[in-house]
Amino acid sequence: MERRDFFKKAAVVAGVAAVGSTTAEASATHQPIDNRKVSDVAFPEKRPLILYSDRPPLLETQRDVFTSILTPNDQFFVRWHMPDIPTHIDPETFTISVNGLVEREINISLNDLKTKFEQVEVTAVLQCGGNSRSAFTPIAGGIQWGSGAMGCATWKGVRLRDLLDQAGLKKDAEWIGFNGSEKAAYYETPEFIRELHLEELDDHVILAYQMNGEDLPYLNGYPLRLVIPGSYSDSWVKMLSNITVTDEYKHLFFMDVAYRVPDNECECETPEKKAPKTKPITKMNVKSIIGYPTNGGKLSLNSHVVVRGVAFDDGHGIKKVLVSTDEGKTWQEALLDDGKAGRYAYRAFRFTFKPTKLGKLTFMAKAINNIGEEQPFANEIKWNHGGYKYNGIDEVTVEVI
Amino acid sequence: MKKLILITALLASPLFAQTKEKIEVPYVAFPIKMGKGFDAVQANCLMCHSFGYIINQGRQSKAFWRGKIDKMITHFKAPIGEEAAKSVTEYLYKHYGNGKLK
Ligand code: HEC
Repeated sequence: MERRDFFKKAAVVAGVAAVGSTTAEASATHQPIDNRKVSDVAFPEKRPLILYSDRPPLLETQRDVFTSILTPNDQFFVRWHMPDIPTHIDPETFTISVNGLVEREINISLNDLKTKFEQVEVTAVLQCGGNSRSAFTPIAGGIQWGSGAMGCATWKGVRLRDLLDQAGLKKDAEWIGFNGSEKAAYYETPEFIRELHLEELDDHVILAYQMNGEDLPYLNGYPLRLVIPGSYSDSWVKMLSNITVTDEYKHLFFMDVAYRVPDNECECETPEKKAPKTKPITKMNVKSIIGYPTNGGKLSLNSHVVVRGVAFDDGHGIKKVLVSTDEGKTWQEALLDDGKAGRYAYRAFRFTFKPTKLGKLTFMAKAINNIGEEQPFANEIKWNHGGYKYNGIDEVTVEVI
Repeated sequence: MKKLILITALLASPLFAQTKEKIEVPYVAFPIKMGKGFDAVQANCLMCHSFGYIINQGRQSKAFWRGKIDKMITHFKAPIGEEAAKSVTEYLYKHYGNGKLK
């Protein structure tokens, strides 16, 4: 019924979509697309964001949100794989089940989760592996995100480990499968299921019901989602409904084919010669984004400008953020916040600058983490077919007037 | 100490959701170029995702579009026949093509 409706409505001529504007000529990586307009349609519990698709909902956060550690829930990006997501979940009757190779199958209500387990919190960055994909040429398959398929929130919930302990893992338990509640429209389409090896699970992995002190928004996975600090978001299963423990790895499209990069040193390949072996994207690399100013902005001559942005990695922690105003010839250190939000959170940075020359001015930001990894220039990043893990030095160009 | 926290949490949390009713995900109209073959797109491509999802790829070669349709068939088990695949390729290449065959 609703679906038929959708066909009809989809065929209307007029709209607001973020149509790709990639010019796929020279085969060098460049800054991601940054001129997309915010939609005039607001999705449930969200402010208007950059819109790619309504079914499944795909929404990107605009750059100017990235000036502080926490990304507000109503501006947090949205990414689903399947067109059908539950639009109502009753918190009174909802349960999460743990089954498979366990001593006791358990079904736990939200209320029990909130009262019968130790409550834990972690502030962590959630980033799509394909964030900034529009930086790749030739075009890499998937949504052509700008830089806003990411956000940072304080997640509250219970440790996955505690839940598994309650159920009691059997001796040959090895893989944990997580089912989200999104449904494919066609019965043969692979479902969005993820599996984690027991070894990948540490005490930082939680099942979160709260985001920045509020219920998770529906579009970010209400009522319960997996939080795996340091890892890309494809494994943070949303609207979690079922956890199954097995001894054997099931072959799944979204594990075996999607979200993988070449299994070689540079994690790169060419369109003509794709890498024979691939590996999962898993851990995030070091990255930073300038939130203010934004591209095309105007600054007054001799004014006191405070450039602001955020930097993060997979949990090693950010050591420094450097800013350049001369195309990367020289770099100066930005001030970092106190880092109290923890090693998985954004570090907010600020850099004061007085523009003394009229005309175009480009700010570049480069983060360096505690193990010395630093962001490369955009054009040094090598291509991979899925367009994953782009982390080029960010650039914003303004005009001094 | 921990117990205390637990008790207050119990008292203070009658379960109520931020959103009590069913949420409505809005339908968004994407700009669509009408022309020969669009009926094949409508019949074969909009079951699993919006038109926006497709055209976000930007202007691309004929081989690119054909490759995407093949990906839909092999990976996502899209039930699309050869005739329809051809019509969709022609349509996408004509309206969202970059002028190159490959
Ligand atoms: C059976 C379901 C199904 C049908 C039918 C279908 N698709 Fe898809 N399509 C998908 C899924 C699933 C994805 C990937 C979703 C994801 O990764 O989030 C996708 C993604 C895409 C993408 C994004 C690029 C990429 O490589 O992921 C394009 C373009 C696309 N489809 C085009 C089409 C066209 C054209 C048709 C009609 C010929 C079509 N699809 C029909 C399921 C389908």
